[in-house]
Parts: sequence; structure tokens; C-alpha cells
Amino acid sequence: MTETITKEQPVIEELESVAIRFAGDSGDGMQLTGTQFTNTSAVLGNDISTMPDFPAEIRAPAGTLAGVSGFQVHFSSQDILTPGDAPQVLIAMNPAALKASLPELEKGGIIVVNTDAFTKQNLAKAGYKANPLEDNSLQGYQVMEVAMTTLNRNALDEFTDLSNREKDRSQNFFALGLVFWMFDRSMETTKDWLYAKFAKRPEIAAANFKAMQTGYFYGETTETFQRRYMVRPASLPAGTYRKVTGNEALAMGLVTAAQKMGKPLFYGTYPITPASDILHALAPLRNFDVRTFQAEDEIAAMGSVVGAAFGGALAVTGTSGPGVALKSEAIGLGVMLELPMIIVNVQRGGPSTGLPTKTEQSDLLQAMYGRNGESPVIIVAPASPADCFDIAIEAARLAVRAMCPAFILSEGFLANSAEPWRIPNAEDIPTIEVTHPGPMHNGDGPFLPYLRNEETLARPWAIPGTPGLEHRVGGLSKAPNTGNVSYDPAHNEQMNRERAEKVARLANAIPEQDVFGPKRGDLLVVSWGGPYGVVRSAVQRAQREGKSVAHAQLRYINPLPRNFKELLGRYKHVLVPEMNNGQLAMLLRGKLDVNVISYTNMTARPMKIANVKAKIDEILG
Amino acid sequence: MSTATTEIQLTRKDFVSDQTVRWCPGCGDYAILAQMQKVMPELGIPKEKIVFVSGIGCSSRFPYYMDTYGVHSIHGRAPTLATGLAVSNPELCIWVITGDGDGLSIGGNHLIHAIRRNVNLNIILFNNRIYGLTKGQYSPTSRQGKVTKSSPMGSIEQPLNPIALALAAEATFVARSIDAHTQHLEETLRRAAEHPGTSFVEIYQNCVIFNPNEWDGLSDRSVRDDNILYLEHGMPMVFGKDRNKGIRLNGFTPEVVELGNGIEEGDLLIHDATSTQLAFILSSMEYPQFPAPMGVIRDVRKPDYVSQLMGQVQTAQAQRGVGDLNKLYRAADLWTVNEREDVAAKVAGELSLDMDEEYVDNLDKADMDATTQVQDQLIESSIADLNPHVPITIDVQSSLERATRQLNLHNIGCLLVTDARDQLVGIFTERDVLMKVAGLVDDLSDAKVADYMTPSPVTIKPDQPIAQALHLMSVHGFRHLPLVDEQGHPTGIISSRDVVAYLNQAVN
Ligand code: SF4
Repeated sequence: MTETITKEQPVIEELESVAIRFAGDSGDGMQLTGTQFTNTSAVLGNDISTMPDFPAEIRAPAGTLAGVSGFQVHFSSQDILTPGDAPQVLIAMNPAALKASLPELEKGGIIVVNTDAFTKQNLAKAGYKANPLEDNSLQGYQVMEVAMTTLNRNALDEFTDLSNREKDRSQNFFALGLVFWMFDRSMETTKDWLYAKFAKRPEIAAANFKAMQTGYFYGETTETFQRRYMVRPASLPAGTYRKVTGNEALAMGLVTAAQKMGKPLFYGTYPITPASDILHALAPLRNFDVRTFQAEDEIAAMGSVVGAAFGGALAVTGTSGPGVALKSEAIGLGVMLELPMIIVNVQRGGPSTGLPTKTEQSDLLQAMYGRNGESPVIIVAPASPADCFDIAIEAARLAVRAMCPAFILSEGFLANSAEPWRIPNAEDIPTIEVTHPGPMHNGDGPFLPYLRNEETLARPWAIPGTPGLEHRVGGLSKAPNTGNVSYDPAHNEQMNRERAEKVARLANAIPEQDVFGPKRGDLLVVSWGGPYGVVRSAVQRAQREGKSVAHAQLRYINPLPRNFKELLGRYKHVLVPEMNNGQLAMLLRGKLDVNVISYTNMTARPMKIANVKAKIDEILG
Repeated sequence: MSTATTEIQLTRKDFVSDQTVRWCPGCGDYAILAQMQKVMPELGIPKEKIVFVSGIGCSSRFPYYMDTYGVHSIHGRAPTLATGLAVSNPELCIWVITGDGDGLSIGGNHLIHAIRRNVNLNIILFNNRIYGLTKGQYSPTSRQGKVTKSSPMGSIEQPLNPIALALAAEATFVARSIDAHTQHLEETLRRAAEHPGTSFVEIYQNCVIFNPNEWDGLSDRSVRDDNILYLEHGMPMVFGKDRNKGIRLNGFTPEVVELGNGIEEGDLLIHDATSTQLAFILSSMEYPQFPAPMGVIRDVRKPDYVSQLMGQVQTAQAQRGVGDLNKLYRAADLWTVNEREDVAAKVAGELSLDMDEEYVDNLDKADMDATTQVQDQLIESSIADLNPHVPITIDVQSSLERATRQLNLHNIGCLLVTDARDQLVGIFTERDVLMKVAGLVDDLSDAKVADYMTPSPVTIKPDQPIAQALHLMSVHGFRHLPLVDEQGHPTGIISSRDVVAYLNQAVN
């Protein structure tokens, strides 16, 4: 805590971390406002974590609950892991935004509202019978009422060419300026952005900048705001950083993997929320020899990936659960042909079309078992947005090593959330070893396309165009070594076992599972994917209370790390929190014959630290 | 499709794999396999560059019997695998082997999309008008009324026309042949191989087991020449064993005519493989109403998919340089954290923002929130679209009497009041008469309009949106809005009635 500086200045309170939620109509530019605040905080050196929350309908009616667009940013002087359970600050541009976000807000939190938007009509659209600003229903919160529209319009008087409507469009910058002031941030980054973005329309840049300045000065000069807050830079490891979302990181990871294999990247896909941004990130990278292919449907996308893998490219598809459902037959063919390929599933709320813009982890068993026949695949899951980069490279490495399709189970939450990413040096990333059998000549004996490597059990990756290796592969059951069609029962048994065994043997090629906390004790919390941050924070809190709790974040799900079963045995209890109805818990019980406690969340919204912590407390009594 | 050729000595035997062929004895597939193995060495393509891709069905076993690279994939999806393969490995000569069930039923979607993309593939569709592998159900090309295991009372489905389908998908090469006519088949396969881009070939193929008599009239040597129209680019459409019949166009409809009796070759259609219209006419000619057209129906050149894609790769590398990962990672706002030092915030690199692009793009556009068509129209249309009336003006010095007389005379609701320089200084309306004049002013000739008008009225310009006028009228209650030019001279007037009329039109 620092002290009051002068009488005129409001108190500056130092905080460890703050979560702010910007909420307004989808036309209010809330994503932009949130992103600008995030960029400024990142550049200041705060650790950040963000969560955009788009309305499900692209153009829901203005002023309604369905049309509320939110953006939550959590910034901190500490290492942070989540976008924050409950925001402490809410910027609500209209009644609907207030209504939709209030349940999330921390008790006693700050609410900044645009009173001009609290018209009878808007209140009605949001379903308010009475004006919440007048009926005491916001008691217990610090409400700051600002007539943003009026103040902003007056400030922009000089811009005579702009209609009121156009002026109103910059009121999100007024709000942003005010929040910059509240949190002691400079407007420079956003100012630069504005003038770069609107280089051709400097008057628009000027008007938005003026709006932002007005918001900032409003905070400074009025007495509404008695406090300002300061969040110091975080002490991240030394290095050069940028902000990255999961989908951006995944796209960069895939390009890196292809380059490290010395291969073109083939990305065959069909647009689907929330995976499409990977395609958008990859399509412009033609100069990296990225060959994107927008297929006619999900099935075609997967078929093209199998074909491209046969052709010798790093072949990848990106989709979400419903797309995986359509792709499953062709993935099965990939398993049978024993070719390396990557299937990215950015999971969303299910079943069926479900909640396309929300997050879930409910496709784990689909990835594991969602095909006909015994059809083992590799499964990895990133722990955070930045980890999507590493996991993409890892998936490629394992797929090539075992000649087997690999699933990356990302999530809508990871895909759209952002965090700081320490930029690696491309030269420091190890190459991915790829070997192709060379040409054969008459007398070299027959080429055996299913002759397995003794160590890895992988078959050779023979590329069409190599003289002497002409061979046929197909989806029918086959004989060992030759790969010729075979209905021999012994062959079917052997090939099924070998396909499973080669995936299992990857356990030798992945790191042992590490834990955060005591190496043995009362409770081990096992998480996978996006809940990483929430679970780690909950475990940290319990540890600070002296509890014997450790956390293991699984990045490799098939195969599991080789020490995993033994590790689970070192704790009295094992808790598995996940965003589904207990799929990993079921897998662990079934595969390892262990007793685990399942904690589930099917709200399609990230779990809360407090809830996980409460579960920990409940188990430890 | 075509691929670069090299000098290489291969024979038919080089393309025979070690697998035992497992089609039913007498199946038309044997003849097709034999012709394919015969054509292959003549193409001059090294066999390691040749790949056969198939789906599921009797015909789809084909790759196993060719000693080239091959994939026997899943039902209907061969074109998708072939497309991915072509993109990943543009050097290859790829053949897709499919059937009427595989290619037109379960895989219909992939077939049309591979064709429209013009991927460098040779797609060979074996049409036997029946499901063979699953033992005799009707297929999408089975004739209506066809009695099969799954249609004991006859199929009630309209069959699909594969040639017309390929043409509708903008195929650049479309041909037809038949298993029994080996020479014709060989030549057709060769032509398909030579064509760059997608080559689509329909082969009438005999399923001896489940649909044995389907092509009798076309395969029996004794009668086939009377029933087949052999197409040759630039040649008149003559057919028949004695070459005494031909195809003539009657209006838009083709008809079979006998040569002689005043009908000469010159009256017949000339085959033109570049004509889209002719191709559709040929596709509509079904045996037995017409002789079955065989040969190359369409052959045009368009850029193929993979060449274009690889062209983009080359262009991008020429323009931006071969991709540099470090540059890619750093294409964002960067900041540096120093070892055990306070953070030095630094902004470097390009400023970028990926979220909310739509919002950003709309910042400098008018009225982004408009949602309905009418709203859009009101925003996009300008005042000029209302055809403003020519205003009736009156000098500011005029008397009230003159003003009211003018209103009556012209049967209008409003007068624009101008000064000596003809600039708009006020507006005088019916309502002014009602509210301020009637019953209140005794001597109209003595009173000046200047004292009863609304001075400095709100004006509007012809290029402003109608929505603006509507807004002013609704917020301020104006019934009239004067238009002025840059100098402030009145140029027109619009009334609420004009807007209502416009709205009425817009809504309807
Ligand atoms: S069922 Fe018909 S198409 Fe299939 S192999 Fe036998 S004859 Fe040929």
C-alpha cells in the first residue's frame, strides 16, 4: 500500500492483480477496448490473461442480453494463470451489459456505468422493471455513474463533420481513457495504434483519441473517483515477450513443426467455430510453403489430410467436436494406413451443435474411442494459450515417430484467450527427425511397407515418387510386413496389437509426469487442458494454508506418462476436475485401475478457483 | 491430367502387381484393367510417379492390381485423398478409380468439388448401374423401373446423368467409353492422361453378375456401330455401320437423320469439344433413344488447382522472401523483461490488432448498426432520391398578406424566406399561420413575414441520407426541411409527406 500523495489527488492503492470486465453491445467495440487495455498492460510488463466472451448470435438485437459482448482481462504483478474468477471492476455500457455481467462481479466491486444508456427503452430491452441505478439493487457495489454519451458528444463538438451517431461510436474510447486513468496507465500504445490504424482517416483517429483523453481527464478532474489503483509489472523470466492467443500459438507451432521437419505444411480444413482462426492465421503464410486447403466438408478435409500424409507433407486438419464426428471414418483410415497426421480439435460446448462459442473438454473420449474398431491414436492437450505452440510441435514429433494420427485437444477457452509468450529463438527448437526409405532397385528384394522399426514399431514412410517402393495401402485388414490384404485371423490380431503397442511405446519418448507441490501426500489434483490455471491457483491457495496438496497437469493423455500410475499411488486421494462429465476420470479408472474423485463442470464457462478450492477442502476435511 | 514425360522403357508387365485379381469371371473390370496396364507404359511417366486412388466397391479394388503407388481408401472419399495427395506432391500422375455408387452416391459431393477445382486428376468412373460389391441393389444410375433386390417392384428414382453432372461442375475434360470396345477405351484413357486438370471419364462397365444385359446394344460387335456415336473434334456426327446416319439439330433438339434424300453431311452437327452448349446436348442423348455418344465430349484448358496454389507459394516467397520463423514470432507488439531489473517497457514491430476487426472497419463507415433492409435503404439513399420539390421563396421584406396568398396560390404548406442575396434566412409554414397569425394579426398587409417566420431553419444537403431527414423530423417535429447549396441559396424542399411516400415504397 502506498499513501495519499496530496490532498487533491485521489488515493492510489497498490494491488497485486485486478480483473476488469468490459461489457457492452456487440456494436460497442468492447473486444477492441479490452484488447487495447490488454496490450497496454502487457507492454507495461504485467502478466495478463484474457477471455473474450462473444455473443452467440453474430448480430443479436442491440441492447438485448443476447447481444452483450464482453472482454475480461486479468493483469497482475504476479505470475497469473487465469482470466480471474470474478472481476473486481465492471465497465457496463448499457443496462443489458450490467445485467449480464453483474452475477460475475466480485461483491463490493466497482461498476462504471454509462448512465445515458439507461433509458426506459434500454432498461426494458434488458428486462429491467426498474432502473437498477435508482432502486438500491446495486447496494454493496461501488457504482460510478458517468454520462458517457453526453460527455463524449460535448468533447467532440469540434468535429463538426461527425454526426452524433458517429461520435457515439467512439464512446468506448472514452470508457477506455477512464479505465486507463483509474489504473494509472499511459494512453500512448493505444494512441499509436489509432493513428496507425486510421492513417488514411486522421480525423477518425483524432476523434477517438480525443474521446479517450476526455475519459482520462474526466477521471482526473471529477470527484466521482476517489481511488486509483496501481498494479506493478510482473517478474516474468527474462526474455522478449508478445501476447498470443491459443489459436495463434497453435498456427505458429504447426508452421514451426513443418519447417523443423523440412516439409511443406498441408492444412486441410472446413470452417468451424472456434477453430477457423487457425486457418485464418495459416492462409497468409504461403511464403512458408503453407498449403491451406478449404475443403467442401469436414469429411473431405480429413480425406485430404490422409492423402497429403501419404504424399509426404506434414498433414494437419483443424476442427471442433462436430467436425471430428464427421471425420472419424477417415481418421480410422489414417490409423490403418499408419501415416503421421495431426487432428486439432478446438473443443466447444456439446453435444450436437451445442455452444459453438463456449468452452468445454467433452471430446476426450471421442478422440480416444470415437471410431469403429480398435483405433488407437496419440492424444496431447495444451495447458495454456502459449503452450499451444509447444504442443503442436510435440504432436508432430510423436505422430512421425509412431507413424500414427495425433490429436491435439485444444479448447475454445484456450483458442481465444491470450497470455504473454516468451518468444523462442527458432534456431533453438530441435529439428524433428524424419526418415524416408530411399530408392530400391531390381534385386534389392521386395519393399515391405509394413515392416516395423524394432524400437518404435513404426512402419516406413515411403513417399510416392521414390523409385522401387511402389506399394499399395488400404483400409482392409492386412498381413504383417507386406501390408497385403489379409483376412487371416492371426494377422488381424497381430496388427491390432502392434498398432496399440506402438502408441503405448511413445511413453518412452515423452517426459515423466512432474508435480507441483509435495512428491507424496494427501491429495493430488490432476487436470488437463484449459483448467490448468484455475486448478494450479486453487492448489496454491490450499498449499498456503499448509495443506498437503499437489498438482499434476497432464499434457500427454495417450499414452500417459510412464510414471503416472505409480505417481497416483503416492497420494491418499486423487481429484480430477474437468469441463465434462468425468471423462478423464473414467479413462484413468479404466486404464490404470485407480480410484479417483471426479469434479465436473458443464456450464461451458471456465471453472472457478474458489469452487475447485472448496472441493479440495471438502476432500481434506 | 498430364505430367512431364521422360524417356523410359516400360512394358505392360511392369504395371501388373503380384496380387491375384478377384473380380467375377467375365466382369468388365478385367478389360479396363488390361487397357490401363497397356496405356501406362505409353505415357512415358516413370511408374514411381503414378498413384491410383480408389474408394469402396468392386472397381475400387483396382489399385491393388496396378504395380504403382496406390491407396484403397474409404467409400466415396477417393477424390479427397487424391486432392490432398496432389497438393502435397504436385509431381505425381494421379488416377481416381470410382464407380456409380462410390462416386455418385456416397461420394457425389467430393466428385463435383474435385472437378470444379480442376485438380490435376484422372477420374475414371466405372458405371455398371448397379451395386455389385453389396450384391445387387439399385444405384444412382439405375434406370427407373429397374428391378433389383432393394427395388422388387422397380426403382422409382430418377437416375443421375454422370456426364451432365461433370459438365455442370465445369469439368474441363469429359469423355465416355465402354469396357468392351478396347481400342476406343485405350484411346480415351490416353486422351484423359494427356489433359492437364481434371479429366472425367465415364466407362460403361458390365457387371455380369447383377446387371448383365445393361450394355448389350453397345457392346455386341454386330450391332454396336449402329448404336454408338463416335465423337471426333471437328468432324460431322455421322454414325452407323454403313455410316449412313447422323445427328442434326432441330431447333435446340438433336435428331437422328438418315443420310441421302437431300440430307448431306453438311447438314449434320459438327463436333466441337470446346463448346459447352454442344457438350450439354451430347450429355442429354441417351441410348436407346439416341446412339450413345462415345469419345471426348469436352476438352478445354483452364489453370489447374495445384499449379495455382504453388504459384501463390512462389509469388509469396518472391514478394516477402522465404518464410522466416523468427520474423513470424515477432510480428506483434513486443516487450522485453530483463534479468533482475525493472521492466523496460518497449514497443517494437508492427502494431496489430486481430480482434473486433469488423468493429474497427466500421468505425469510419456510416451507421453500422442498421439491421433491417429498410434501415439500410434509408441510410444508403440520399435526399436527392426523394426528388425534392422546387421551393417557393418569398423575400424577407414581404408582408404576411403576400405570404399567406402565396401559400394558397401554390397550394403548399411552406415558404422559404430569402434575403436580398437570395440566401435562406427563414421558413414560413401553414402552422405559423395557424399558431401565430390566424386571429392574432389584424392587418396582414401591415405585418412583415420576417416577424412570424422561423429564422435560421435547420437545413439539409441533397447528399445526406434520408435517415438524417427522418431523424430531424422525428426529433424536432419538423414537417419541412429546406435544401440549400454551398452558398446558402435554397435549392429544394422536402416534406414529411415525401418521406412517408418513400417509406411506403421501401416497405413494399
Ligand atoms: S459383382 Fe459385378 S462389378 Fe463386381 S466384380 Fe462381379 S461382375 Fe464385376
